[in-house]
Amino acid sequence: MNQARSLVLNRWLAFSALAILILLFIFVPGVVKMVVVSVLLAYIFDPIVTAIELRGLSRTASTLVFFFFVILIAWGLFAALAPVVYNQIMALRSGAGSQQTSQVILKLQAVVRDKLGFIGLGDVNLEEKISQLTGYLSDTILDFILHEGLSLILYAVTIPFLVFFFLKDGREMKKHFIGIVPNRYFEFALDLLYKMDVQLGNYLRSQFTDAVVFGVLATTALWLLGVKYFLFIGPFAGLANLIPYVGPIAGALPAVAVALFDKGDITLGFQIILAFIILKLTDDMLVQPLLVAKGVHMHPLLVLLAIIIGGELFGMLGMLLAVPATGFVKVVLQESIVTLKKYRFTD
Amino acid sequence: MDFLSFLGLGKHEGRKVRFRDTLRSIPIFSELGRRELAAVERILHKREYSAGEVIFRQDEPGLGMYIIESGRVSILTDDALNNMTELGDGEFFGELPLLDGGSRSATVVAKTPCRIFGFFQPDLFGLIERDPRLGVKIVLSLAAIIGMRLRAVNERVQTLLAEGAAAGAAAQRPRHKKAEEHSRRA
Repeated sequence: MNQARSLVLNRWLAFSALAILILLFIFVPGVVKMVVVSVLLAYIFDPIVTAIELRGLSRTASTLVFFFFVILIAWGLFAALAPVVYNQIMALRSGAGSQQTSQVILKLQAVVRDKLGFIGLGDVNLEEKISQLTGYLSDTILDFILHEGLSLILYAVTIPFLVFFFLKDGREMKKHFIGIVPNRYFEFALDLLYKMDVQLGNYLRSQFTDAVVFGVLATTALWLLGVKYFLFIGPFAGLANLIPYVGPIAGALPAVAVALFDKGDITLGFQIILAFIILKLTDDMLVQPLLVAKGVHMHPLLVLLAIIIGGELFGMLGMLLAVPATGFVKVVLQESIVTLKKYRFTD
Repeated sequence: MDFLSFLGLGKHEGRKVRFRDTLRSIPIFSELGRRELAAVERILHKREYSAGEVIFRQDEPGLGMYIIESGRVSILTDDALNNMTELGDGEFFGELPLLDGGSRSATVVAKTPCRIFGFFQPDLFGLIERDPRLGVKIVLSLAAIIGMRLRAVNERVQTLLAEGAAAGAAAQRPRHKKAEEHSRRA
């Protein structure tokens, strides 16, 4: 009798948790965003903590050691990069347009006035428009930092906190989840969860590694070419590379724009495009084949739809997370079907 | 508060200690130390079954073995739908899929309300990844058990073959005798 009661209670608890999750998703999307990002990061870093565990430490101690090193690296990066980043924001704000830039803009303006005068662009002032745009961009960045500062701090504190607990207690959480599955489907659920865990972990880690490698290569290439703000554009290109097809273009565009509007150097613009083509070829032919599990093949249309939906729901972050999230759903469905076929439940 | 509770060995702790003893009595875990047994205990899944509930069915994919903490189970096969055997407290079943992930060779039904612990392949893989020394100990013990069973089956096959040969020879003898008598008469 007691067993039946505890089973009913467990199911009620599971349903309540699911209902709360759905409500959170609808009414507090920010929380969902934080949890999704934390779960993805925990998946990515789990093997590192497990490797530390191999040295004979407990899971908690391993997670603490991992965080100690993460904080150390983050602090080092902050100390080294903060002044450079600050200078780059200030340079963007002051709209450090050079003389060559003005010349290129004037040339462009002449072409526009000459060729496109018939559609009412005869008296367009490109220089003014561009300086307005760069001013607007830098103000938006600063506004974002100032006004969203509180939520940025909240994110910066909450996400590592969540990642810590997902890393430390993730195994226990999975065990509790398995614990509420009815006896009949318990082995099936365990099998499914394990396969998903392996596939998903491999997929997310390969995506993350690819983004990091591409980001580092792009930053180095932009630094070598002498492009300003390379510390922003390089990592952005790495992140954008997560989005198939449009990602590399989206990554290259800001660099080309900076080359054209800041230095007024068309040759540099072409060099950047060439560098990004080489980077993308290296990524496709060298980096990706070396990564173990890039094998979650998705139809281009599905990717496009996922990016649009991700963007509509969660903005820029949603667009970046759309592809891994769709990969997640695809792996879950694929493994569910394969495992269900294997178990052939008839009652 | 009694003395056991004072030592942190109340009802719950007492059960824990008893279960650890049960674990140690299982050949797969008999070589493990206290810390290692605790690590194994952490990855076990506790399940409760009511009387008559099926634990797993023959030919279904299997993931691992079950250890009975309390209660009795019946092991049945489809070809002989009668009780093959019954198992009780401290006994274990279904250990083969732990190694090969193959299908179940029998159906197991709870005869009385049971408290059972499951030890499964995915958790064993995780353990091997985190603590290879412990993982190897468990896998070696499993291999030893399978090896012992294989040896027993080999011996049984040899005995059956010898018995078959003896029976064949015995059946041939009267025929030889008849042939001899026939030739003598001729």
